[in-house]
Amino acid sequence: MAIQDTAAGERGARREPEQGGERDVEQGPEGGAGFKDVALRAMSDAGGAIGQLASGIGTAVTALLVLVWLAVTAVLSVVGVGLLMVPGVLGALHALAGRERARLARYGPEVVAPEPPPTQLRLALVDPTTRRELRWLVRHATLGLLLGVLGALLPLVAVRDTAFPLMWKLMPDGATATSIGFGTAESWPEAFAVTLLGVGWIAIILGLSPGMARLQAQPGRLLLAAGPDTDLSLRIAELTATRAAALDAHATELRRIERSLHDGTQNRLVTVTVLLGAARRQVARDPAGADELLERAQSAAEQALAELRTVSRSILPPVLADRGLAGALSGLAAESAVPCRTDVEAPERCAASVEATAYFVVAEALTNIAKHSGAGQAAVTVRARGSRLNLRIEDDGRGGADEDGGSGLTGIRRRVAAHDGTLRVTSPPGGPTTLEVDLPCGS
Amino acid sequence: MDRDLRIVIAEDDPLLREGLALLLRAEGLDVVATAGDADGILDAIDAHKPDVAILDVRMPPTHTDEGVRAAVEARRRRPDLAVLVLSAYVEQSFATELLTGGVNGLGYLLKERVGRVEEFLDALDRVASGGTAIDPEVVAQLFTRSHQDTRLERLSPRERDVLALMAEGLGNSAIAERLVVTDGAVHKHIRSIFAKLDLSPADQVDRRVAAVLQYLEDARRRA
Repeated sequence: MAIQDTAAGERGARREPEQGGERDVEQGPEGGAGFKDVALRAMSDAGGAIGQLASGIGTAVTALLVLVWLAVTAVLSVVGVGLLMVPGVLGALHALAGRERARLARYGPEVVAPEPPPTQLRLALVDPTTRRELRWLVRHATLGLLLGVLGALLPLVAVRDTAFPLMWKLMPDGATATSIGFGTAESWPEAFAVTLLGVGWIAIILGLSPGMARLQAQPGRLLLAAGPDTDLSLRIAELTATRAAALDAHATELRRIERSLHDGTQNRLVTVTVLLGAARRQVARDPAGADELLERAQSAAEQALAELRTVSRSILPPVLADRGLAGALSGLAAESAVPCRTDVEAPERCAASVEATAYFVVAEALTNIAKHSGAGQAAVTVRARGSRLNLRIEDDGRGGADEDGGSGLTGIRRRVAAHDGTLRVTSPPGGPTTLEVDLPCGS
Repeated sequence: MDRDLRIVIAEDDPLLREGLALLLRAEGLDVVATAGDADGILDAIDAHKPDVAILDVRMPPTHTDEGVRAAVEARRRRPDLAVLVLSAYVEQSFATELLTGGVNGLGYLLKERVGRVEEFLDALDRVASGGTAIDPEVVAQLFTRSHQDTRLERLSPRERDVLALMAEGLGNSAIAERLVVTDGAVHKHIRSIFAKLDLSPADQVDRRVAAVLQYLEDARRRA
């Protein structure tokens, strides 16, 4: 699944990113998907949905806290003190909304943020973005939290009840047998009845959890996204900036290529002609002495070829076209001085420039690891999620990677930024170092 | 080579620098010093008082026009120094910048011409004895660029060929040899060129140089 046939990948219909991170299930044969496929898909869907629901608990609990804070602020504002707290609570609201947007984007299409709302009370009271965020806050702190907790509890209850016969003998007499708090089990048949309840839970999880996840995400998708009437000038400014960065990186890249062609390859070839010219003159004077010149001319020609190869590889590694991203990256890992595992699940081909960027990022990161980290192990993980490509490069080295330290990190950041992607570096002193890169697939 | 030339070479690529020195030494020329950058070559020129300086255009630190600027500076310090600039590609503005400071003892050639040793030594000799050597490629570019110029339009194709070879720094008999015509015919063409370009014999400047410069100037204005 990881490496898909190139032609098929390009020809085949694109699958929409599905709720719950489903990615490992191929489309069944036409006209009658096997039961196994259906079951696998349902389980994978449910697993993703439960994960999404549980991840919502974090923002939902925070939402509840912010809601309480907001209520306190509102009450205190009546006596005046609360007015001082307004900017803080509004800031917290916007920050939380931002986190929720990022969380939702991990499980589906991106939630485009509107322009940052004002933090002054008078403006905020009439600001549509703030109002929409407040409406979301109330729903997420209540319904969202409830769904999240349910989503987290359901698997626990299901496991407990299904496995009940294994442990009922150990439980004190008269203890409640089921997770829902009624009934006692006095005999084996009764204990197995509890198992049936557990199976019921599983059915509920399989049947309802994707819907619950959608329900939990709905207020955020509806209220946190920039409305059709919202001013998108900030987004445009951001895109303009990244586009400028892309052109900049492009120009830098062209300059680099031009320089290595001119000052490397071309000079080598000129050297060849100079030495050949000298050799021809030498033949007339002393044929034996010409051989040394020819020898030098030949080695200069060989160098020119080697440099040409390096330059063309640095433009677009042929291996990407030949073997796809997964193959190219495992090739890099095999060449790496530090032992490196790769785990690539990118079933669809991204735009060539994005794949090339991913390739260079990994190449540069592995070079960095070999040079600076002192690591004994490295790992590269690549996931295609929806229309995004996520890279994660980890090592168990000494950490403390510093972008100002002349490392390749600046280059990586520039390349990534040029594609409107993001780079996150976590490298505490003592290690480990993790690079997380997120790129839009751009195809 | 009719005299014993003392030469300095500035080229940042060590292999090519060595190759050049090797070639010239094998021809019995005296390469007194080599350098990898502009400052190095200016010091060497001060120290060794060579007859000719061979300069690469692109050198550290910026790899743009260090060689041209070094050439201009070297000629400012020693106006009688012959300078031969080698470039990996034709750059109109470099040629103009070099030649407007005086064309005597100046050359501007593509690097790969060095491989044609006989012609290269010829050009080197011409430059060393106060002549000019402009790469045919540069001259060709000048002609395409200045095609719309009315004064140049007046020239016949044959006269343009002659002027191209003049711009390369060839003498009358060499031009006659190249074009397979008689010396007298070349003479006639050149007189006609001077007339069409409004260069009267009374002018103090060398009319050959003025004719070539006119092209360079026109091309520069257009660029």
